[in-house]
Amino acid sequence: MPADLDDSSSPKTTMSNTTAVSGEAASNSVISTGDQSEPLKPPLKKKRNQPGMPDPDAEVIVLSPKTLMATNRFVCEICNKGFQRDQNLQLHRRGHNLPWKLRQRSSKEVKKRVYVCPEVSCVHHDPSRALGDLTGIKKHYSRKHGEKKWKCEKCSKKYAVQSDWKAHIKICGTREYKCDCGTLFSRRDSFITHRAFCDALAEESARNQPLNNGNKNTTKMEIDSKTSITATAIASPPPPPPPQLPPTLPPVPPVLQQQQLPPPSPLPAPRKSPPPAPPTTMVASILPIQSSVQGLPENPIPVLEDVLPPPPPPPVAVVVTAGLNVSSSVSSSSCSSSSGANTSSSVFATLFASSSATPPSLPSSHPNPGFSDFIQTMTRHECPPPELPQHGPTEPISLCLSSSHGSSIFGPAGPERRQYAPPPQPAMSATALLQKAAQMGANGGSLLRGLGLVSSTSSTGPSESLQWTSRQIEPDHSSPVQSSLGLGLPCDEGSGLKELMIGNSSMFGPKQPTLDFLGLGMAAGGSPNGGLSALITSMGNGLDVAAAAAASFRGTEFSGKDTGRNS
Amino acid sequence: MMQFTEFSNPISLHQTTIMNRIKPWPGFPTPTSSTLSSSSSLNINHNFTDANCMEQLLVHCAQAIENNDATPAQQILWVLNNIAPPDGDTNQRLTSAFLRALILRAARTPACKFLLNSTTTATLSNHGLNIHKFSLLDLANFVHLTPWHQFGFTAANSVILEAIEGRSRVHIVDLSVTHCMQIPTLIDSIATRYQGRRQPPPTVTLTVGAFTQQVGQVTTQVLPPMFDIVSYDDLAVKLMNFARSKGVALEFKAVPTTPSDGFASVLDEVRRRQHQTRFVFSNHHQEELEEEVLIVNCQMALHYLNHTAAEVAAAVVVEELSMRSMFLKALRNLNPTMVVVVEEDVDFTSKNLVGRVKSALNYFWIPFDTVDTFLTRESKQREWYEADIYWKIENVISHEGDQRVERQEPRTRWARRMVEAEFQVVGFTAGEAVAEVKAMLEEHATGWGLKKEEEDLVLTWKGHNVVFATAFTPSY
Repeated sequence: MPADLDDSSSPKTTMSNTTAVSGEAASNSVISTGDQSEPLKPPLKKKRNQPGMPDPDAEVIVLSPKTLMATNRFVCEICNKGFQRDQNLQLHRRGHNLPWKLRQRSSKEVKKRVYVCPEVSCVHHDPSRALGDLTGIKKHYSRKHGEKKWKCEKCSKKYAVQSDWKAHIKICGTREYKCDCGTLFSRRDSFITHRAFCDALAEESARNQPLNNGNKNTTKMEIDSKTSITATAIASPPPPPPPQLPPTLPPVPPVLQQQQLPPPSPLPAPRKSPPPAPPTTMVASILPIQSSVQGLPENPIPVLEDVLPPPPPPPVAVVVTAGLNVSSSVSSSSCSSSSGANTSSSVFATLFASSSATPPSLPSSHPNPGFSDFIQTMTRHECPPPELPQHGPTEPISLCLSSSHGSSIFGPAGPERRQYAPPPQPAMSATALLQKAAQMGANGGSLLRGLGLVSSTSSTGPSESLQWTSRQIEPDHSSPVQSSLGLGLPCDEGSGLKELMIGNSSMFGPKQPTLDFLGLGMAAGGSPNGGLSALITSMGNGLDVAAAAAASFRGTEFSGKDTGRNS
Repeated sequence: MMQFTEFSNPISLHQTTIMNRIKPWPGFPTPTSSTLSSSSSLNINHNFTDANCMEQLLVHCAQAIENNDATPAQQILWVLNNIAPPDGDTNQRLTSAFLRALILRAARTPACKFLLNSTTTATLSNHGLNIHKFSLLDLANFVHLTPWHQFGFTAANSVILEAIEGRSRVHIVDLSVTHCMQIPTLIDSIATRYQGRRQPPPTVTLTVGAFTQQVGQVTTQVLPPMFDIVSYDDLAVKLMNFARSKGVALEFKAVPTTPSDGFASVLDEVRRRQHQTRFVFSNHHQEELEEEVLIVNCQMALHYLNHTAAEVAAAVVVEELSMRSMFLKALRNLNPTMVVVVEEDVDFTSKNLVGRVKSALNYFWIPFDTVDTFLTRESKQREWYEADIYWKIENVISHEGDQRVERQEPRTRWARRMVEAEFQVVGFTAGEAVAEVKAMLEEHATGWGLKKEEEDLVLTWKGHNVVFATAFTPSY
């Protein structure tokens, strides 16, 4: 059976918890001693076996979670203020000039109470492990079984008990490690790793190197901003080649020697070449201490690999290249969505041929000026300036089919991409534009033709990879267009998908406009142009939402994002 | 709830099997998970239906694609496309990753090829995979975001430290996907351990397997996380500089290697070095010079070795001839003092796509869930982190054959393989590893935990196994 060693949710700030608890105890004990008759131990020390039952005669109290967590069991009838203890309410009533009564301390009648955790599976559910005070059990219950609703804004740690959180806030950020480059770390491991690769260390070493006898490279770690631990690298005398070889072995077989000393060529050894030419990369060493301590200082013969001791060692290395992916060059588009696997590049090539790679200037001689403007706006937006070629996947024009809420998370969402070209015809409202589009669309796919046309003129990629673009060449296209849009949800398929989609749209409600689209698509599914009208409706939806963005087609997404951020 | 019932009716064929399984799933409204999950209590119910229906849809879609059943596949993809934006909540992000992988899978299936139309391509671009190329310092930060890698580092460091105790010459072979990110802490713990002792720290020879792929003259990285400028010499200079500052003698060597040939170049390098040091010893008659200790540290690297054998002439697949088993045997022949194996505790070896989809769903919700606890939806780091998970999901689901490299096996099966290769388990739990790992976990979100299974350590997230760490020595 796996033993659970997890203790991670126990309070990390045991000290401050203790004080918090006892502080509370102190203030309470002025009035009441009932709960506080024993000095409070930190109820949740890591050693679980500690809080046993202090007194076998104590009264064991079992409270339901609700009662336990209730903050206001004792309510003032005047101001409705709630209190955890009757004693406190009585004190409060005094302020209202109401009759009040405090229980008097009487050693006889005070029976000690202990409290068990309401959580059945908890060790403290057992009376023998009961905790000695109400506050303790409440905190325990919150910490172990409750929601951690207090979050440190600095480090995102979450706490179930407010006082834990407060205690943490006080010390958060004070216990940290600081690299010479100025970066702060709260975790030692991250600090160490950063430190190793940070240029600050290299610079420091460089400074220390000339005086190489300067015996120490110090790494400062500030803990609690008062203690400063200094890790000192042990003195390294100027590295005489350390004797790892027996003194009696001067002659080294020349073959080996050659193997040992790779030619200082930076070229990588071919991967396939096995042993005799060892995959040489970097051989260099630093040997600070060995020579002095190993007790073989009389041995002057260098080890083979140690031929290059003077630091910094000259790296003779294989450069594993490839900063840039291969696939993005394959996909001949300006978008940067690259896949790790080369195999997917074809997919992406088709993908981006559809959308991106729009030449900055569009042929403006489009038959339908309104619409072409509309498209222009889109494309202008779609096409990132050439100097920003690596910014996020470009959304394809077919975006109206996909979820309109949310650009790709991988997009940079930087302001530079959010520059919307001003609508070319500001007078034309989104609704008007939509009507226009609908008129076009009413007659069997001319909307799509328009779209297709534009996208074909604007696309520099292999346009045949995109279905609609190629369709557009053929005059008759209404039904193929439909299916190529992926809208052909055949109702006769009968399967659950129909219900499924309805279920969905109702389930997710109006906050996702695309789901309306789904529903509408279903409704219109009977007619051959169903997909089309759904498409238009969906656009309408989007555009209505994005009224401010006027003709900017991508306004949908934009506003969606904004609201998301504001809410 | 109403919607959910209505929703699940039409696909009741397989529903029973799915519903009967109790599954770990984020947002599942149990008292513990609801308290831990960062989602507000308002949408717990929403999540519940979400996660379940999304999983069912994904499984059905995979089934349809496997059956070359294009119409349902298309329909489900369409639905998923609408309910799972890539920047939604954790469930939606998870689903989106799978959706993407399934579309790519469909594109490779002849019957479903046509699915790669404008809709799905739009989806793909929305869900585009943008594997981040890390700078050295970014990568250092990145591996410490969660204990995912750090757990293995910490556990390995402490057993390695025990294994090299008292030795003066150590050869550490590092097979890891994180480009030496473990090494600084290893050096640091060696230095700390020897602080104040009269005996100096051992001389460390480090041989690092650099995961690369050679395409013509160009060497590329094949696995995330990836470097921006992949230069191991910069890395080497820095590491040696760091070691020097800590007073540890370090010799560094990076060997380009690939799992496709069973890390042959690394094995060769070790053999070469052993031969050379033995030669030196045989020529040397002083007894006090001891042999170099060999430690092999495998961090999430071995599952990239193919677990299936290339088919022999008679189409008989012999498991022992798989790259994985052969590598372990070759490793055994090098007679290492200790082999540390850290792997993701999940099974992606199924031949069956649907099986893999299910195990992947039951595993990959974890990384999405963990980052949600401390990174905002817009966070760059989260984007990078998730992109690497996207990559893995895509690999598990949409690839086959040699291209499918994410072939994780559960801990028990690794243990069996190691025993077959004549290794035996070293207790991980006796030493300081437990304390070290626990201290490390305390610095992370509360959902992380540590579990002991037999002699091994297992990292858990909300009680579910994530990564295991185990150590072996030759059994004779």
